[in-house]
Amino acid sequence: MGVIIGPRVIEAGLSLRLVLISPVAVAAGFPSPAQDYFDGRIDLNEHLIKDITSTYIVRVSGDSMEQAGISDGDELIVNRALEPRDGSVVVAVLDGELTIKRLKITAAGVVLQAANPLYPDINVPALADLTIWGVATRCLHHV
Amino acid sequence: MSSTRQQIALVDVNCFYASAERAFDPSLEGKPLVVLSNNDGCAVTRSPEAKALGISTGEPWFKLAPRAKEWGLIARSSNYELYGDISARVMELLGRYSAWLEVYSIDEAFLGVKGSPEQVVGLGRTIKAAVQRNVGVPVCVGIAATKTLAKLANRWAKNNPALGGVCRWESMDPEARELLMARLPVSEVWGVAGRLEKRLNAVGICSILELSRADPVMVRDRFSVVLMRTVLEMRGTPCIPLEEERLGRDQLIFSRSFSTPLTSVPEFRQVLSVYAQQASARLARHHLQAKVLTAFAGTSHYNPKDKSFPSVCVPLPMPTSDPVLLTRAAHALLPAIQDGVKYARAGIMVTDLRPSDSQQPLEPFTNPHEERGIGPLLEQISRKYGRGTIGLGFAGLRSDLDWSMKRGMRSPRYTTHWDELPVVRAA
Repeated sequence: MGVIIGPRVIEAGLSLRLVLISPVAVAAGFPSPAQDYFDGRIDLNEHLIKDITSTYIVRVSGDSMEQAGISDGDELIVNRALEPRDGSVVVAVLDGELTIKRLKITAAGVVLQAANPLYPDINVPALADLTIWGVATRCLHHV
Repeated sequence: MSSTRQQIALVDVNCFYASAERAFDPSLEGKPLVVLSNNDGCAVTRSPEAKALGISTGEPWFKLAPRAKEWGLIARSSNYELYGDISARVMELLGRYSAWLEVYSIDEAFLGVKGSPEQVVGLGRTIKAAVQRNVGVPVCVGIAATKTLAKLANRWAKNNPALGGVCRWESMDPEARELLMARLPVSEVWGVAGRLEKRLNAVGICSILELSRADPVMVRDRFSVVLMRTVLEMRGTPCIPLEEERLGRDQLIFSRSFSTPLTSVPEFRQVLSVYAQQASARLARHHLQAKVLTAFAGTSHYNPKDKSFPSVCVPLPMPTSDPVLLTRAAHALLPAIQDGVKYARAGIMVTDLRPSDSQQPLEPFTNPHEERGIGPLLEQISRKYGRGTIGLGFAGLRSDLDWSMKRGMRSPRYTTHWDELPVVRAA
């Protein structure tokens, strides 16, 4: 079923649309009994995006987070407003680049870990020495 | 002055376009950066580092380019879809801090704030931190009794790092205020431009301080009622009402407050159509076309419940002044309008303006094709296979192709195109 959407609506830059076929009255004039129960399509924005002002979608390049279920080419939903915690998957600024790592906060200091044994940990003396760009909340993994 | 009197905060994004670029590309941090006007003509925004190199606004790129390497100067073509979206996010966030929000331009808004001096300055700091954290761009906040003074306070906040980006005019030391006003030329006042400055100088008004001390009646008689209001505002008497439209830096805004609030989608449909047509007419009159339209609405500050400040940013399928296209784009706000909520204002802003070709290109989206769904179909094809792959006759193709060639240094449209998302390294 072709759905034509007019000029693209960009709501705070996120234009995720999940188009489902809605139960509609058939041409024969016999309305579908399911119609009374149809209350609008599922809108992914509503479920995946808590705050449109602070949520960005980014694309992953590389395989260092493979064991966290985040593969090369996957999209991540990142919320900048969340407080990064121990175990958060974060987008951190390293050498002027946005980099995806898992954050470990221990008494000894802060560690940025990959989820792939091929990549070494990066030790950071304190959280204050680190620029966290945002916290990943979802991975749109290509299956 | 009573401490709970309504004050006005002017929030604006520092070096907006440059900051929007940096939000997604941390490698630009601390480097001299200029954002160029349409067709990569001249520098419209300079990062502080670029200002420090002595680059001035409007400097042509062809003059800067040969020295860019030696300076380490980076240039970006303007990326209005990105700026429009970042702007919409900032405005949406600001609306959460005050029910009285007036979007003044793509990167500035006035907010009504109430409370003691400490409380409003605290709110200013909260807003600054929230915009930085959520959206990722730095702002400065100027707070004062009037819009004109809020502008001045904002400027002061920008130029004094010690203030931490927030300044309340009335909290400044009176002597420091006088010194500042005496130092600044009258052209630095909001609403005083080139020719007016010369005429003011002719009657001995050269500094902002002199203007604030001028006799309002004399100013009204020899200049205008508008300038008299400015004088009164400088003295702390609020009297500048909302303007309905402005032709500013590369943008047109049509916005107003309603005496009777709008409460339904059909009413909005009409109002947005009117604005879109006004915008269309004005663009045509100035021989301009727009590439991005932002539509917004807001509830009144007298109505603390039911706060709602929806806004959408719509990239137009081609640079256009076509009323049908602009209307349709403006109507993208309709799904965000909450039924039954009383909206006190609405408006549209068109940005990324450029001169239209002398020949009016055939627009594929106007009647009779409109009804045959060709417009949306073309749009879908273009979206799938890229701009300039299909069109009717010369429709937009020539200018668009022409355009893509002259946007050599545009960063990705990070937030509005699925295939241009920011890339995060997993390596």
